[in-house]
Amino acid sequence: MAFFFQELVNGVTNGALYALVALGFSMVYGVLKLLNFAHGDLYMVGAFIGYFVIQWFGGPTALTIPVPLLLLIMFILAAGVVGGLGVAIERFAYRPLRDAPRIAPLITAIGVSFFLENAALLLFGAQYRVYNTADFISLSSGIQIGSVTIDSVQIMVLVLGLVLMVGLRELVNRTKLGKQMRAVAADREAAEMLGINVNRTIAATFFLGSALAGVAGVMAGLLFNQVNNTIGFTAGLFAFTAAVVGGIGSLPGAMLGGLLIGLAQSFVTGYISSTYTNLLVFALLIVVMLVRPSGLLGRAQLQKV
Amino acid sequence: MSLDSQPPPAGPQVGADEWVARQAHRREHLPSWLGVAQVRLERIGWWPRLAIAGLAGSMLPLIGLGGFQLQVGIDALILAMLAVGLNVVVGWAGLLDLGYVAFFGFGAYGFALLSSSQVGIHLSAPASLPVVMVGAAILGLLVGLPSRRLIGDYLAIVTLFFGEAFVEFTNNVAPGTLGGPNGIVGIDPISAFGKQITANTGYYYLLVILLVASMAVLRLLDTSRTGRAWRAVREDPLAAASMTIPVNRVKLMAFAFGAMVAALAGSVFAAQQISVFPTDFDTPYLILIYAGLILGGVGSIAGAVTGALVVTVIYDGLLRSPTDSGYLFYGLILLTLVVKLRPWRRLGAVLAATAALGFAAHAIVGAISASAVAGGPQSTGWIADVLRDWVIVPANPQVPGNYGFVLLVCLLIALVQIKGRWRTILLVPTIYLASFVWETRLVIEPAITRQLMIGAILIVMMIARPQGLLGTRRVEPPT
Amino acid sequence: MRGHVILATAALGALAIAGCGSSGSSSSSSGGAGTGAATKSCVASIGMEGPLTGPVATLGQEQLHFAELALAMDNQANKTKISIVQGDTQLNPAQATTVTQQFTANTKIVAVVGPAGSQEVEAIGPLMARAGLAFISGSATNATLTAGKYPTFFRVVSKDSVQGPQDAHYIISNLHPKALMIVDDQEAYSTGLVSAMTPVFTAAGIKVDHESVSQKTTDFSSLVAKVTPATTVVVLPWQVASNAQQLGRNLAQQHKKAVIFGTDGLFSPGTFTINGSYVSSFGPDITAIPADAAIVAAAKSKYGSFGTFGPPVFAATHVVDEAIASVCKSGNTPSRSNVLAAIKTTNEPASILGQPISFGSSGDLTNGKFFLFKINSAGSYQLIPG
Repeated sequence: MAFFFQELVNGVTNGALYALVALGFSMVYGVLKLLNFAHGDLYMVGAFIGYFVIQWFGGPTALTIPVPLLLLIMFILAAGVVGGLGVAIERFAYRPLRDAPRIAPLITAIGVSFFLENAALLLFGAQYRVYNTADFISLSSGIQIGSVTIDSVQIMVLVLGLVLMVGLRELVNRTKLGKQMRAVAADREAAEMLGINVNRTIAATFFLGSALAGVAGVMAGLLFNQVNNTIGFTAGLFAFTAAVVGGIGSLPGAMLGGLLIGLAQSFVTGYISSTYTNLLVFALLIVVMLVRPSGLLGRAQLQKV
Repeated sequence: MSLDSQPPPAGPQVGADEWVARQAHRREHLPSWLGVAQVRLERIGWWPRLAIAGLAGSMLPLIGLGGFQLQVGIDALILAMLAVGLNVVVGWAGLLDLGYVAFFGFGAYGFALLSSSQVGIHLSAPASLPVVMVGAAILGLLVGLPSRRLIGDYLAIVTLFFGEAFVEFTNNVAPGTLGGPNGIVGIDPISAFGKQITANTGYYYLLVILLVASMAVLRLLDTSRTGRAWRAVREDPLAAASMTIPVNRVKLMAFAFGAMVAALAGSVFAAQQISVFPTDFDTPYLILIYAGLILGGVGSIAGAVTGALVVTVIYDGLLRSPTDSGYLFYGLILLTLVVKLRPWRRLGAVLAATAALGFAAHAIVGAISASAVAGGPQSTGWIADVLRDWVIVPANPQVPGNYGFVLLVCLLIALVQIKGRWRTILLVPTIYLASFVWETRLVIEPAITRQLMIGAILIVMMIARPQGLLGTRRVEPPT
Repeated sequence: MRGHVILATAALGALAIAGCGSSGSSSSSSGGAGTGAATKSCVASIGMEGPLTGPVATLGQEQLHFAELALAMDNQANKTKISIVQGDTQLNPAQATTVTQQFTANTKIVAVVGPAGSQEVEAIGPLMARAGLAFISGSATNATLTAGKYPTFFRVVSKDSVQGPQDAHYIISNLHPKALMIVDDQEAYSTGLVSAMTPVFTAAGIKVDHESVSQKTTDFSSLVAKVTPATTVVVLPWQVASNAQQLGRNLAQQHKKAVIFGTDGLFSPGTFTINGSYVSSFGPDITAIPADAAIVAAAKSKYGSFGTFGPPVFAATHVVDEAIASVCKSGNTPSRSNVLAAIKTTNEPASILGQPISFGSSGDLTNGKFFLFKINSAGSYQLIPG
């Protein structure tokens, strides 16, 4: 039983991470109907930024500032820089293609993703950069219930993830910007005719989505310790799965999808074998797509004649 | 009414359909004798042009290419076949298939299992190739089944995962039969009617024949009812359905044909490499196929082949000595400038200004700090002599090169946004910075550079010229 | 506009053909003194194939750095002018074939160092044999490679069929596990070792849980949760040390008592430092060999930290350099056949690996040794004697 709960904890934590990345991905899809393949690589950039912040302040064993301040700086810097990068990518690569056939921005997104990965390889090298979280956040801090351990980093990921998700939901449902985002997502031309500055709204959406990915990257660095230029591809893949399973374009769907993928990975590893984890997650996606193509919480899209 | 009575439109018009756009586009010819040559070329007809290209391709080994060029040629021909097959799915039927490389892998593994000691069967090529192709067609039908209920982006995701699942499957499942990460080695060469192909020249000719045959078959398809049905489904599936076109069946046929071409290429690949491994069929290779197709022109067979050839030459060419890749790099820059900068005075001004800026900067920086110019260009020969006093290469090039790279990307983005006179002015420091980054970082890491180039090709082509080199522009009215 | 494009394409094609055509003639060692006095200056090129980009780029870059280091030192010591031509294989056999075709066509290349993966050796072995080009690998450990199929293949490391059972026997006799978990990283190196070790364990009556994760996995918490209290050893024949470090952290975090036993890939003093772990390596800890102090210092200052994949490539490059130098010393111009012959007769009494280097008739390293280390609480590796 304890084993079940341990896997549950792991699954929910990883799920929160996937959910954050999937959220940003879904947001972008909602307003632009674009599958941003470069989203995973933004997550990777965020993770690198967190690493460099730690190095800047003395390295994991000799920090010059208290840990909470360090974490705050890491998150804010990652959010800001990665958000800005997302806006720049949108401006340069996706905006010229807004009225092009759907295939065009998709291929550009693949190109951007490939370019970002290799640029990171060129700039930072192939070596894994290690956060060494255990050196400044002790491994024994955390809760232990029976033989189930929840690390303090895991707790932070869960809490922060929850806060961000709730905050995003409030922003989308209650604020003016959220209303503009929803309008643009529903019908871009109509929104423009109503006086909404579409370019600015899309840029804001990209900023938010990319910032979420950046924060998720820092959290991943703290949780998994290792950062190199390939982590974006894997994370992006699972974030797509999560967003699509939950219903792409739907924010609660992205959260649900993320949770599901995280739990699926955990339980398949725990109860079957880690060899088949990825394969079965992919199979799960294909099954969901065949049975309910619009995802679990998504709405079937109407095709206009 | 002659075609020349109306002035050519400025570009494809919104609301105008693709056929009109194609005709309008064709009327743009080069001035004077080049235009006449172009018209004559187009009048020759598709089939004679295919014959000429095939003959030219098969003559290549005869002019004395070495082993490496032959291998590059084989790589290029395989990529061309894959691009042509992908063109069917993506270009003609408009279905975004991101798992295409899995069909290639299926063909390779299928041939490997049927013609090696792995399972003990040793079928000869005329027996195994059709089996593999039929199997791939069935697989293509299966993969295409979700396309009935999924549109556009969803299909892209499902096919992407299919591609990933293939690699995982061949790597982890049934290692006894499929070899696991060790792959399958010791594959028989292609043998037919008692004769075997073991030399690379043999495979080159075989691939030329197969490529020409595939192009011919696909051309026949393109000009048939199926081709027209594909185009209709690509542009507007609902309208096509209401015109009694069996949309689902048409989509499945696209997948099946694309898969068959890929499987054929895969079989020859397996025979030539004598071994197959799961990592041969991973996402980076898919991106290479896409780069070739996009560069050449989606929707056009000739475009797919041309793009694939160019991409292979660049991809493998960058791995040669720093001198050769230097030729390629500077040559490409010069070529872009020549094509894009008109009139000739502007080109001359930019080149002169860049040269002047370079010498001046080198002299100034050299006067300030000797170590900042202590390194030299990596190339040898006359190109290095020209560059030595022009480009700044510090003694420790890595860190300044990295900063330079980031700055270069920002400058390039800025260049695209700015128009007019300032763009020409900004071109000068950008070219110099590009040379700086090349000499300090890119030429030292040719493997990473060529990946960056492939990514850049995809981005730039899609934004600047989505129809590629030889394609025709699609017009999609905004939904 | 389209016309310009056609023009540009034609020009590009011409450029490409020109570039291809000038293959053999360019990149010659231009320099003042003519090459007439061949006996005075020993000029040659060697190819280096490795995964310089791609999933295991860390290992490939380390190998390249050590190859360059060996080359620089040997050029200085022997007064030779050997240069390196890089070939990136991304651990991908198809790319290895293309790179090898490039090398075999380049007549200046007289020997090759690499490739890194056993699959790549399988893919290029026949090509190398046909060209008579010798190639020495510093990390291809698959046992079948030296079964006689590839007459020009050599390696400076021992093979899986020796390392696997040796490690397994050590674990059984010294650690006495009742149950253990063995995890492969879905690469040929790893799966080869697992299939060599698992039969030994099952024959001794130990319950074996075989798991598999990809090298790109960075989270092992779910896997670690499967470690039962009876599982006292976790065997990780992996290539990426930082992954093992993370798994070790997960073990500590979930209060599991299992001990990690790793192989060569985990030998990484800066990265893998879990207290109480064992690491078996085909290469010694060269930082602990006094004779290697100069090399260690040079490597550390230029490239930072390194693991066990670099030094064998250093050894391989050194073997090639010495072979070329000996050919030059006997008055001949280095060519593939005489360098191959020289490599076959290599007999170095000492090397960076702390042991003499000579090759058996199959290309295997004679008396390749394995070294076992245990990590203490300070994170340093201590050699276990015997």
